[in-house]
Amino acid sequence: MKYKWYVPYLFILLAMIGLFVFRLGPLFFAGIMSFTDWSMFGSAGFVGLENYADFLGDETFWKIVGHTLLFSLIFVPSIAFGSLILAVLLNQGVKGTTAFRAMYFAPVITSTVAVGIVWRWIFGADVGMINYLLRTIGFESPPSWLSDRSFSLLVVSFVFAWKRLGYYMIIYLAGLQDIPKTLYEAAKIDGAGHFGIFRKITLPLITPTMFFISIMALVDSFKNFDIIYTMTRGGPGRASTTMAYYIYQHAFELFEMGAASSLSMLLLLLVGGIAVLNFYYKSHWVETQG
Amino acid sequence: MKNYGRIILYIVLILIAIINVFPFYWMINVSLQPLEAVYADPPEFIAKHPTLDNYKEIFTKYNFLRFTMNSLFISLTAAIGQLFTCSLAGFAFARMKFPGKEILFGLIIATIMVPIEVVIIPEFLLMAKLGWINTYLPMIVPSFLIGTTGVFLMRSFYENVPKELEEAAVVDGANPFTIYWRIFLPVSKASLSALFIISFLINWNAFLRPLIYLNSKNLYTLTLGLISFVGEFSALWNFLLAGAVVSVVPIFTVYLIMQKQFIEGITSTGVKG
Repeated sequence: MKYKWYVPYLFILLAMIGLFVFRLGPLFFAGIMSFTDWSMFGSAGFVGLENYADFLGDETFWKIVGHTLLFSLIFVPSIAFGSLILAVLLNQGVKGTTAFRAMYFAPVITSTVAVGIVWRWIFGADVGMINYLLRTIGFESPPSWLSDRSFSLLVVSFVFAWKRLGYYMIIYLAGLQDIPKTLYEAAKIDGAGHFGIFRKITLPLITPTMFFISIMALVDSFKNFDIIYTMTRGGPGRASTTMAYYIYQHAFELFEMGAASSLSMLLLLLVGGIAVLNFYYKSHWVETQG
Repeated sequence: MKNYGRIILYIVLILIAIINVFPFYWMINVSLQPLEAVYADPPEFIAKHPTLDNYKEIFTKYNFLRFTMNSLFISLTAAIGQLFTCSLAGFAFARMKFPGKEILFGLIIATIMVPIEVVIIPEFLLMAKLGWINTYLPMIVPSFLIGTTGVFLMRSFYENVPKELEEAAVVDGANPFTIYWRIFLPVSKASLSALFIISFLINWNAFLRPLIYLNSKNLYTLTLGLISFVGEFSALWNFLLAGAVVSVVPIFTVYLIMQKQFIEGITSTGVKG
């Protein structure tokens, strides 16, 4: 194929506008803004590291970092193991696999807003389904879940994991299908049971997928704005406020664009840092496929 | 012994299916009840007097038809845009040599991990500068042009197209654009439909951008329409859940028709991405 030197750049032009105008540009600009006290209604002044110093010295900020990490801590293992279990069960070749898969996948394609609304009802304090069941089996005063400080974050991260399980299940299923059938047959001939096969063959060979899924789920877990806005709006108080929601509050409720930008830089640091760390330790727990 | 194992397996599969499907069942169930029934104790597990009144209300009084059309327009435009942006760039990254190729592709991949919350503030200021607040454009233009996973998906597909196909056209004197349009685009139908579905879905369900960019009610998307309902009528669960059903039905229909492409799209962007 012959072409003038500039032709490839014409082909990538649209994607490059997207990359530079809507991704890298804003990223760079957010970095700059984080050193200013820019608010929506005033002029911006350079304040150096003041925004960062303010947040890092603020107890509330650390609480919110804690909420963010707790959310991930619940979400990522639930995904890494839960969706593996779903995939392994679905990989047994039962009748109706397609129907089961479609049902497990349904929450993935539903909007977080619709999911959040219906689960809010299910976890409702008075008319909710769960509390109805709890009262029926004898709990006199079940918790009020979403308006209870100690439960709201847990419930929200549970619902988000519920929504995303099917997505990762599909990826695991693809990984499981890459495991050679002969290995299973050989193990069966050697008299290995279901659990033995899972532990000795499936699990070691699926660890690269599991590593990959954990990283993806981790990144996913920081994108929790929609579910928190829909279910709790960060409440009660700040009990379920995470970084994503805190950025939104600063930028679009308080209109402190400078401070919000420094928060978003800190979130970026958190996402990037954990991903790098994970990558670094990868070799310690992923069995390489020979 | 083996049979017991199978039976237990089925029971487990069915139990998981119930946990996955119950919220949807409940959405539909409540959407068919009058408000009094919603607050009944014990709850009506099967609506005793099912009615479509809630749907009639939300469509006639609360603008849901308009919201649906807005969502449809935004999602379709953005998804069609994705097809062009990603297939053009994917073609160049897979089939052409040019300075800066590796770096630019690397940058695209690197930004996959950046959460939207990180870039949304400068983006908002940019949209304000352009005078695009309270129009459809902030929902469409970035989704049209940002092709992180899509470029990756198309590139991996185009890399595997046999060289002979391309060479035959070169002999005929075709230029790169003709080769892209006449040969590569048609053979990549499966990847394109996967890409289309995924970006349609993302835009249909998008929430943060509509929330910050749209003020006039007649521009609202379904997700934003639903949320505004929560604020104004927090106790009217029957309307709310009818609205949720309306937002879910179109996407489920598309999913059921194109399940294969959906799954392929996810595995090919997911596993290798």
